[in-house]
Amino acid sequence: MSAYFEIKDLLVGFRTFEETRPVLNIERLAIERGETYGLVGESGAGKTVLALTILGLLPKPAGVIQRGEIWFDGEDLLKKSESELASLYRGKRLAMIFQDPMSTLNPVFTVGQQIERVIEYHQGLRGHSRTQKAVELLEMVKLADAKNILKKYPHELSGGQRQRVVIAIALSCGAEFLIADEPTRNLDVTIQAGILQLIDELRKNLRITVLFIANNVSLVNVFCKRVGILYRGKLVEEGPSPLVIREPLHPYTQTLISALPRDRSERPRFSGFELKPEAPQGCPFYSRCPIGVEFCVQQQPRLEAVIRPEHKAACFLARSR
Amino acid sequence: MLARFSEVYQSLSPGLRELRLTLYLLNRNALQRASLIVIAFLVVVAILAPWIAPYPSHAFSATNPQDKLLPPSSRYLMGTDELGRDLFSRIIFGTRISLQTALVAVGLALLIGVPLGAVAGGLGGWVDELIMRITDVFLSFPPLLLAIAIAAFLGPSLGNAMLAIAISWWPWYTRIIRGQAVSVRERQFVRAALAIGAPMSRIIFRHILPNTMAPVIVQASMDLGGVILTIAALSFLGLGAQPPTPEWGLLISTSRTYFLNAWWYSTFPGIAIFVTVLAFNLIGDGIREVLDPRTRKF
Amino acid sequence: MLRFILRRLILGGVVMFGVALVTFFIARVIPSDPAAKWAGPRATPEQIAKARAELGLDQPLIIQFGTYLLDLAQGNLGYSLRTRRPVALELAESLPATIELVLISTFAAVFIGLPLGVLSAKYKDRLVDHLSRLFSIGAVSLPTFWIGLILQLLFARTLQWFPMGGQLSTEIKLTMEIPRITGFLTLDSLISGNFVILLDALWHLVLPGITIGVYPVGLVARMTRSALLEILSEDYITAARSYGLQERVILWSYALKNSLGPTSTVVALSIGYTLVNTFLTETIFTWPGIGSYVATAVIGLDYPAIMGVTIFSAFSYVVLNLISDLIVALDPRVRMS
Repeated sequence: MSAYFEIKDLLVGFRTFEETRPVLNIERLAIERGETYGLVGESGAGKTVLALTILGLLPKPAGVIQRGEIWFDGEDLLKKSESELASLYRGKRLAMIFQDPMSTLNPVFTVGQQIERVIEYHQGLRGHSRTQKAVELLEMVKLADAKNILKKYPHELSGGQRQRVVIAIALSCGAEFLIADEPTRNLDVTIQAGILQLIDELRKNLRITVLFIANNVSLVNVFCKRVGILYRGKLVEEGPSPLVIREPLHPYTQTLISALPRDRSERPRFSGFELKPEAPQGCPFYSRCPIGVEFCVQQQPRLEAVIRPEHKAACFLARSR
Repeated sequence: MLARFSEVYQSLSPGLRELRLTLYLLNRNALQRASLIVIAFLVVVAILAPWIAPYPSHAFSATNPQDKLLPPSSRYLMGTDELGRDLFSRIIFGTRISLQTALVAVGLALLIGVPLGAVAGGLGGWVDELIMRITDVFLSFPPLLLAIAIAAFLGPSLGNAMLAIAISWWPWYTRIIRGQAVSVRERQFVRAALAIGAPMSRIIFRHILPNTMAPVIVQASMDLGGVILTIAALSFLGLGAQPPTPEWGLLISTSRTYFLNAWWYSTFPGIAIFVTVLAFNLIGDGIREVLDPRTRKF
Repeated sequence: MLRFILRRLILGGVVMFGVALVTFFIARVIPSDPAAKWAGPRATPEQIAKARAELGLDQPLIIQFGTYLLDLAQGNLGYSLRTRRPVALELAESLPATIELVLISTFAAVFIGLPLGVLSAKYKDRLVDHLSRLFSIGAVSLPTFWIGLILQLLFARTLQWFPMGGQLSTEIKLTMEIPRITGFLTLDSLISGNFVILLDALWHLVLPGITIGVYPVGLVARMTRSALLEILSEDYITAARSYGLQERVILWSYALKNSLGPTSTVVALSIGYTLVNTFLTETIFTWPGIGSYVATAVIGLDYPAIMGVTIFSAFSYVVLNLISDLIVALDPRVRMS
């Protein structure tokens, strides 16, 4: 029996002219109903690829799913046809918020047209009740003057307003699983907090499950119960967020956390990377790892529980310290 | 999204890899490979025309009235024209004329367009504004029309047709170079050159031009097909090659009097034009596809 | 919005002025003796001297250009050397026949080329795409005048399905009264309810229509494909897919509205090509339009006529592009900036 949401042995590659280059290789990633799971990694780690894979929106023909299963509420999404995904899952049960609210809204339609099209398509509402629903949605994401905003074009709104509109559209048809792909990346710091708070409130009120993608551990810590660290397409550490942040096991997580500004006067443990040659057979982090030993070149570490069963890391040296 | 991935990919090791990739991709597509072979073949035919053509003397003024308007046979592969000349030999020599004139016309257009674009982009300001408005005016004539008018007033001849095409074609190159130059101008090495007091003319021709040529060369090679078509059209109207030049467009034009009873006369020169232009266009399409990250197939 | 339109109109005016300047240069400055060209190839010295005086060639260039502009403004394009009639009048007479052809092939370009480009983008890299691209690249590689000859050879001469040329069959021209209301043959016969003539006229339109339409169809298909592919790779399309919207909706409504700008540019360009293609085809089909007019003028080196057609076509093309620019202004992004 698999969890509410579970990725099993997923391998996604991008076709180059020489070979298919693996960009995502996840052995297992499970999320419980109602949970908020934080996925952290630097740009290029494969976070967006994961999000697009779940929704079946990988750019084709470059992106290839080589093997694996993605279970969602008892069904394997990778076995669904394109039309099933479109009509039964996307928008209705799965939703996604993208990084850049400017480019996710279609510039030639008003906000109202864009929301109402989705409502009409999924719920068959028309006319006044459709507009009413759109106003409700904008009010749900705490946009003042909703009626007015419906008539506006995306470029007439501020970044924060746009992202709220995007959230409203994404959740307009009762999705229960939300993928938030760095939703605050392109926003001012002051606006970020508001958006994060909104997502957290919506999660509680609408009882949705959230896969929250970020490039920054501190963002995740605030409201994710568990966190996974993605490095070059692989989960290198996973565990309850306070634990991962307090006692990071993987050297990569440690560098991520030591890079954060802290109140305490503790000095960062690693100030930089000494680049070593790549280890194609071994640990993907070897070339940047400050503690790697010869053994790390030969074999790939697996994600395994270290010390506590709920806290896992993919590092041979994690246990020894 | 895809564009971002390919960007990351390209940054791995640009230059050599890019070239290899382009050649690989062009070569991988069967149609484009065929086009490369066709073009290579046409170039060989153009160079060796006097040796390949069965009746080299028929290419120009020699006449052979007793064999006029004969259908294709083993003796005359593509039949003969109204003066009994071997059409096959004339078409072979026509290859030479088409390729030559197209190259000269594009070369002339580059000669006008490239320096103007570099100056516009390099200097900016009112010079830029003026040059760009001039290109606007030239580009606001319907395609081919300006060439027709210029060729007519210069007087009908193949040389004037080339000149006319160059005069109507250069603004395209000016625009590309100008766009490139504007972005190159912002780059560090150009600023460095400015900072050590190098004169602007030197900066434009030493630093900006070499860095902007690549896209223009690509565009120019993609344009060859269109230029061949334009030359044929001018000749067809009587504004390009003059008899007895075996230019393809002119061959078709002369054939009009006879073609209803001599189908081969119009058919073969037309096929020659079509195959040549198609080969160039397919290659051009391929290059565009390869260079554009959106349509690029990895 | 108003400012945008005003700016475009002013820019259009500037371009028209530039077009007049360029044509002036071609006609009066490039030739070593413009009067000799203006008077025609077999002119006597007296005729050349008269032309010189008429053109004001003894005056400074700037004054010549002034009178040239004044003439243009009054629609005075000079007199044809061949017929000794005003060029403007002759153009007006041959315009309707050409417009009929241009309309037919522009229709083809829009209603065949556009959907072909959309399908191609939708099924990128699949069989449909390959076929449509091969067709459209072939279409822009064919010499227009050659298509005309081959069609005549096949469908008029060998199969005899369509007439060789002309606007009407000889019997009809001799036996029936041809309605002359607007000058457009098909429209006039429709208005007057003469369906025999209408059918015959449409019959005669088929081959020249196809000949001229082939290039624009290919052009529109190619440009639509690339414009649409660019739009389909935008984030808001991925987002729309993530909302579960159907591909059909995304393509035909969501994406196509974004391509309004490129599309109207393409259509304007294709009309430009169609117009020029009439120069190459009308003589083949003995079609009494501007194309035949200019082809005849070129052969006889009838310079005033060539110049007249050039100026007229260039001005119409500028107006056309202006209209397409104004359509682009419907895009809210453009309107705002």
